[in-house]
Amino acid sequence: MWFKRIFIKLPLSSYLFEHKSILGKALLLLVMLLVIMGGSTGLGCIEGLQPIGWSGGVVADGILFVGSKEGKLVAINIATGTDYGRRQWSESLKMPASGGGLFGCMGPAYGGGCGGAPAGVAIYGTPTVSGDLVYIGGYNGKMYAFNSSSLVMRWVYPRESYLKPIVSGPVIVSDSVYFSTSDGVVYALDAATGDKQWEFQAGDKIWSTPASDGTTVYISSFDNKLYALNAENGAKKWEFETEGSLVSTPLVYNNKVYVGSLNRYLYAVNASDGSQEWKFMGESWFWAKPVAHNNVIYAPSLDGKVYILDAESGGEVADAVDLESSIPSSPVLVDNKVIIASQKGVVYALDTVTNKSRVLADIEEEIYSSLCASDGVIYIHTQDYTVHPVDANTGGKLATISLKISE
Amino acid sequence: MGIGEIWNTIILQPMLNVLIALSHYLFNSFGLTIIVLTIIIRVLMLPLTLKQLHATKAMQELQPKIAEIQKKYGKDKQKLAQAQMKLYKESGISPTGCMVPMLVQLPIWIALYQSIMRALAITPEGLLNLSRYLYSWPVVYSMLPLKSQFLWLDLAVPDRTFILAILVGGSMWVQQKMVTPQTADPQQQAQSRMMLWMMPLMFGFFCLSFPSGLALYWTISNIISIGIQYFVTGWGGLVKVTAGRQTGRDKKYKKRIAQVEEVPSYEADVGADIVAVDSAQEEGVDYEKPGDKRQDRGGGYPERLRAIRRQPKRRKGHHPKRR
Repeated sequence: MWFKRIFIKLPLSSYLFEHKSILGKALLLLVMLLVIMGGSTGLGCIEGLQPIGWSGGVVADGILFVGSKEGKLVAINIATGTDYGRRQWSESLKMPASGGGLFGCMGPAYGGGCGGAPAGVAIYGTPTVSGDLVYIGGYNGKMYAFNSSSLVMRWVYPRESYLKPIVSGPVIVSDSVYFSTSDGVVYALDAATGDKQWEFQAGDKIWSTPASDGTTVYISSFDNKLYALNAENGAKKWEFETEGSLVSTPLVYNNKVYVGSLNRYLYAVNASDGSQEWKFMGESWFWAKPVAHNNVIYAPSLDGKVYILDAESGGEVADAVDLESSIPSSPVLVDNKVIIASQKGVVYALDTVTNKSRVLADIEEEIYSSLCASDGVIYIHTQDYTVHPVDANTGGKLATISLKISE
Repeated sequence: MGIGEIWNTIILQPMLNVLIALSHYLFNSFGLTIIVLTIIIRVLMLPLTLKQLHATKAMQELQPKIAEIQKKYGKDKQKLAQAQMKLYKESGISPTGCMVPMLVQLPIWIALYQSIMRALAITPEGLLNLSRYLYSWPVVYSMLPLKSQFLWLDLAVPDRTFILAILVGGSMWVQQKMVTPQTADPQQQAQSRMMLWMMPLMFGFFCLSFPSGLALYWTISNIISIGIQYFVTGWGGLVKVTAGRQTGRDKKYKKRIAQVEEVPSYEADVGADIVAVDSAQEEGVDYEKPGDKRQDRGGGYPERLRAIRRQPKRRKGHHPKRR
């Protein structure tokens, strides 16, 4: 037949005609399917190679500050819901040390290649406001201080060169700003001028934001260690070693430091001497920073559960709440409720009195950023360049705020 | 379950977890793990690779005859296709003999490439995504994130010393040179020359942009390919063959091809009677009538070539006299 004559000209189909056994045909079809699958999922850029960022927001004096995925610090007057002011970062986005990379797959601070990644500096840390300045770090290895009302840059550190990528957010204690870089260095800068006060070198990468109780800075590192540093001079007070890498930001509460590890344990460490108080094992990594309230620790895990633990003993106070999706974003406390968001975009309210949870809203967008609350409204920065305000009591979704400058 | 999920579950996840677990037993060295896993997978794929190489070689050796047919039936596409199919059939070559083994291997290569890139977890998103693919093996959790230092390399970033780029480009050039068929056709020569230089340059250039872990994998994979290629075809186009400088392997192939050339054209009955008798005796069969069809053993290798290759050495008192 004519179509058979045409068909046998095709290389693979001629193979089918030659090997008429059902098994042979099935095998060939399976192989073709695998090749198509591999081609569709594998030959392109792999998700996660391009830094995109997941900055949370902070509210000060009625203004929401958030690092956008376009690499900009965006200030929004949340009272009116209109843009308060947007300024493009004046610093070069180029990374002199490692350059761009083909296909946008490897550029540490570049976009435009994989999966519509943004062409700007990735921002992971949540901005911090102190006095008239707002501080923010970029994946390009720069820490910036902007005037919080005008967004005019006050200082940048370092002025000329670049540090290793900053995933950490800044923390302000007294007159100093603390942050860390991906090569494992903790920096203390003068908050007003940006002059370096001291630095501390850990054994491996640091992606977490430092935590402080006023006199001590606590920082977790990929080298499995939790460090306690003198906030004044950076001298190491103690170190606590775990069996896994530490990526999550520590929580300081009631003279204890709580930190999650990639070996699936949450550790409670005595803040004075660095001795272990207890440890609790989840089913996956503890990635997000936990929340403490009424002597109870609410610890979200990438296994999709929020573990409710006694802050003193580490015992489970109530059954873990299952959100059915991993939880990379840090929760926030609003009145007596812990507001938690799953990666899939469902926002839950966990009542700290009854330890029962309910669905507050479904954002329907992926959530990685830390949650931010102000005046009973939760601000959620999602991966679609949008801030979703949600009423913490009713779960009502308010008008979304686009962070795309082009719009 | 989407197509991506099926891919992840049956191919990517097992390979990724094995890769991470293996690094535990290889002194926590991810570089060493990439090398060892590449070798393991290449060894497991060896039968398919050999099949592919044999088939490719056979196809190359058949090219003069195909050119003849093309010349003969240049305008009549249908007759041309029929004649080609007939030639393939008579020679025992499957036109897809080199394609199918390659297709089978392709998903494995893609999965290995993906596993290396994902295990490196260069960005925060990369590490976070990695958690979705992990089995609940304690060894996997305790290993992450993997240490990316290996020799002078940070496997998570491109190698700026150009050493890996040169190694990848060089090894790829050698491999390409080995497989490039020697042809008198100037158009084909130009095409071959372009491929010979373009691929190594392209991949060498990639090395300056992709993580050096991937470049390490390319280098090892290329070196293994060169080794396998050598055992199948010798140095091929790499060594300029002159009458005085033929290697033993080259001589063997030349001889074999010459034996094929002696056999009547593709339209004649392809019997290889002498061999058939020998082979039959070798296998313990009393006799085999001339014209009896022999079972094709597959492999895409021409029956005539295979038969000649399999011809046993003549030993005293063993080989039957021909009358």
